Amino acid sequence: MCRLRDHAQGFRRRPFPDLSFFISSFRSFCQVLLGDMGAGKSSLALRFVKGQFFDYQESTIGAAFLTQTLAVNETTVKFEIWDTAGQERYHSLAPMYYRGAAAAIIVYDITNADSFGRAKKWVQELQRQGNPNLVMALAGNKADLASKKKIEAEEGQAYAEENGLFFMETSAKTAQNVNELFYEIARKLPKAQPAQAAGMTLTDRSASRLTPAKTTCCT
Amino acid sequence: MGGQSGPTMDSGDFIDESDYKSSAQAVKSSKTIQGGSSSLSGSESGKMMVGNGGPDSYEVVFVKDNVSVHPTQNASERISGRLRLIKQGASLFMTWIPYTVKGGGRQGSSIMKSAEKDRNLYTIRAVSLAEMRSIRRHTPPFGLQYIIIVLTSGLAFPPLYFHTGGVREFLSTLRNHALLVRSNDDSNVYLVNDVQDPLQRSLTSLELTEVTPVAVVVEPPPIVTKKDETVQPVEESPASTSMQTSVYRQGPRREASREIINVLEKFSMVTKFARDTTAHLFGESRLLGNSEMDFDRGPMRLRNEGSVSKSTGELPPVDGAQEPVKDGKEAAAKDEGKDTKKAQDEESEKQKRIANEEASTNVGSFELVDGTKNDTPALVWGRARPPPLGHEEWVTFLDREGRVVDSKALKKRVFHGGVEPNLRPELWKFLLGHYKFDSTYAERNALVSSKREEYKVLQAQWKTVSEDQAKRFAKFRERKHRVEKDVIRTDRTIPFYEGDDNRNVELLRDILVTYSFYNFDLGYCQGMSDLLSPILYVMEDESEAFWCFAALMERMAPNFHRDQNGMQAQLSALSKLVQLLDTPLHDYFKQNECLNYFFCFRWILICFKREFDYNDVLRLWEVLWSHYLSEHFHLYMCVAILKRHRRKIMDEQMEFDTLLKFINELSGHIELESTLRDTEALCLFAGEKGAACIPPGTPPSLPVVEVDPFAVSLESSQNL
Repeated sequence: MCRLRDHAQGFRRRPFPDLSFFISSFRSFCQVLLGDMGAGKSSLALRFVKGQFFDYQESTIGAAFLTQTLAVNETTVKFEIWDTAGQERYHSLAPMYYRGAAAAIIVYDITNADSFGRAKKWVQELQRQGNPNLVMALAGNKADLASKKKIEAEEGQAYAEENGLFFMETSAKTAQNVNELFYEIARKLPKAQPAQAAGMTLTDRSASRLTPAKTTCCT
Repeated sequence: MGGQSGPTMDSGDFIDESDYKSSAQAVKSSKTIQGGSSSLSGSESGKMMVGNGGPDSYEVVFVKDNVSVHPTQNASERISGRLRLIKQGASLFMTWIPYTVKGGGRQGSSIMKSAEKDRNLYTIRAVSLAEMRSIRRHTPPFGLQYIIIVLTSGLAFPPLYFHTGGVREFLSTLRNHALLVRSNDDSNVYLVNDVQDPLQRSLTSLELTEVTPVAVVVEPPPIVTKKDETVQPVEESPASTSMQTSVYRQGPRREASREIINVLEKFSMVTKFARDTTAHLFGESRLLGNSEMDFDRGPMRLRNEGSVSKSTGELPPVDGAQEPVKDGKEAAAKDEGKDTKKAQDEESEKQKRIANEEASTNVGSFELVDGTKNDTPALVWGRARPPPLGHEEWVTFLDREGRVVDSKALKKRVFHGGVEPNLRPELWKFLLGHYKFDSTYAERNALVSSKREEYKVLQAQWKTVSEDQAKRFAKFRERKHRVEKDVIRTDRTIPFYEGDDNRNVELLRDILVTYSFYNFDLGYCQGMSDLLSPILYVMEDESEAFWCFAALMERMAPNFHRDQNGMQAQLSALSKLVQLLDTPLHDYFKQNECLNYFFCFRWILICFKREFDYNDVLRLWEVLWSHYLSEHFHLYMCVAILKRHRRKIMDEQMEFDTLLKFINELSGHIELESTLRDTEALCLFAGEKGAACIPPGTPPSLPVVEVDPFAVSLESSQNL
């Protein structure tokens, strides 16, 4: 759930001194990881944020939120990453996490053709949401398992180009292209965009509206 | 088919990783204990340590066989059993469990019948020493030695006859663990925890042996309590520890004055803790000045109101609330001048004042200690928790043919003490509803074998799908594939599931795929493997684990519905509970658009499975499944944990994202025992008002039975 910052003040309330005021080019943006279960969303996030990898990374229940602050070129960028549950069953919860995101990484598993199909459905759904500023990336993960490859890089690349995404084959296990992926997203974000308003919309959510009213299933 | 070999790296909650190392070790040790889980004949003797060194571990410090009760003069009707003193933490419990009648028991010779009944009647189940007032010994030069134990409630147990001597040893063991004073009036009467003054005696009866566990519980969890005065300040812990030493190590010959001081010290600790805890649980909202609950109606009365919430429907907070509020104020006042030490005079002055305040409740506290009726929020923290239910005691809950005579009592016992690991396979089947409480041994045996056959049939439905057939069966391939993706990353650091080609991982898969055929409409959902894993670990049998899982899913299936209605119902009930029990926190969440409570999603979906180490999950689940205070105890538990961190949440102005991160990172840092106590207190405190927040049919309640319109129309059309 990428949230709009406090409009009146234009920045987020923070519990401790916020150094961002003193850094001329500080930006934070919110992104979301989407993709089939077992594609490697959490592993990518974990590799990027903590430099860790676990063979038996547990499934994500609900969602996880991670942050990483890094210098990208001359700018300090705070990555706010929503990691979501992959199973289609929990699809109805996804909009609350991707709604308002400035970027989305759609992950598939190169050894699993179904996960590529599911990735395409995510792309379609995000396109339907009609946020023109949304930066989308397609990540073909588990590049280390080349011998079991079912989806060639060319196929992923071609699909990405058709749909205006940028594409990378990644491996959370070997760290191949992981940082590159996130950096590239940061670079692609519209430069003029103010740090706090990266295309986020605020929607009223109450307990009674747990499930977004209109969601389409991707089955 | 479609199975993906090789490591799967996937999504998940990296936050939990570090916790699993420790949990793996914990499980290792517990599994050792469970080693001979198939043989349930408990025949321990002498001293033994049970448990993993955690708060659940206990030690048998005294065992005496052939201690009997004589219901009548008739020697043949004596009931023999084993007397034990069990030390758990700093609390001492006494149990007397009659021997199982061998042979005739199950088959049921008619002579045994009345004896069976008596056995159940006379069994002494984990009486805390704090509940005892006195012990009278009879050691005639000829004839049997016996003791009579009188409880603070005024009840007395029937004489316990020591057929092979040992009264002296019994008393001296007691002396090592508790205050035992010989009465001035009668040298054969030993007063337990006694002091002369009736006021102080009443204070003693406030379960003072609990001081140390309380203090232990209070030790702040590693990450969370930095600024959190709601938990008892750190500096209290060493004090209480040293006090424990003084109380329990000193010899029997102490001056009465010293005892009084000790008792007062102990009392002060309890009061201090109770005050702080009640303040943090109940007082905060008032302190912040906009509680919707009226905390100020009527005086605090410690008189036994325990069953109020159940019987009269009167809201306990009405009676139980003033004290917490007052305490809250005191705690707040204290916080202001909060340096590590307070002047001792001031402190003792305070204790005196508190003691005076409590004096008016003298009579009440006596009643409260009556072990059966002490369900009052204010005393939840002070109560000794009994050791886990063991096999020998379990048998006493059963009648001759194996029916549970009093399921309510059983549930209560499990709720408060949990179950010993080697008894779990049996007892969980009852708790989960796979076994009916009123079933007999014979019926259960029949059920086991018929269900085993049924499971085989169910499993064959997919095991016999040929590769060729599977090619044309996408739904099946997909399902199996999903299950496989999850089982290979479920609890793999637990020894039971670790390593390549682990048979138990295959069992997880087989059971889950079979379940997705058994309940084809629901299918497999992420989270199910988390729910099954501990069940298989405990059952160690494929069919049994399957049926227990299926029984659990009868209650929890709505958690996995595509429309999220089950989760929605629970999250919305949780929202109402927080509103009731912590209005300022509710308002905070409202302001910050966190009212959907999605940050508690994982807690609820898989019942805190990811939040505690493996052994604690087993304990927690049996407590939850006892459904003793509420079927929705887990929701109260959410409230308790949120309340514990309310200050941090609000001080740091957490919003949805940071809040969710914070909550996820609590995993492995939640102390189970104290959380259970907080939850129990909250649950009692909320009473009927709390129950009213949770609409009927909210999972894990069994679905409200509705007439299926389809079935009706089908029937009527057939009639036509």
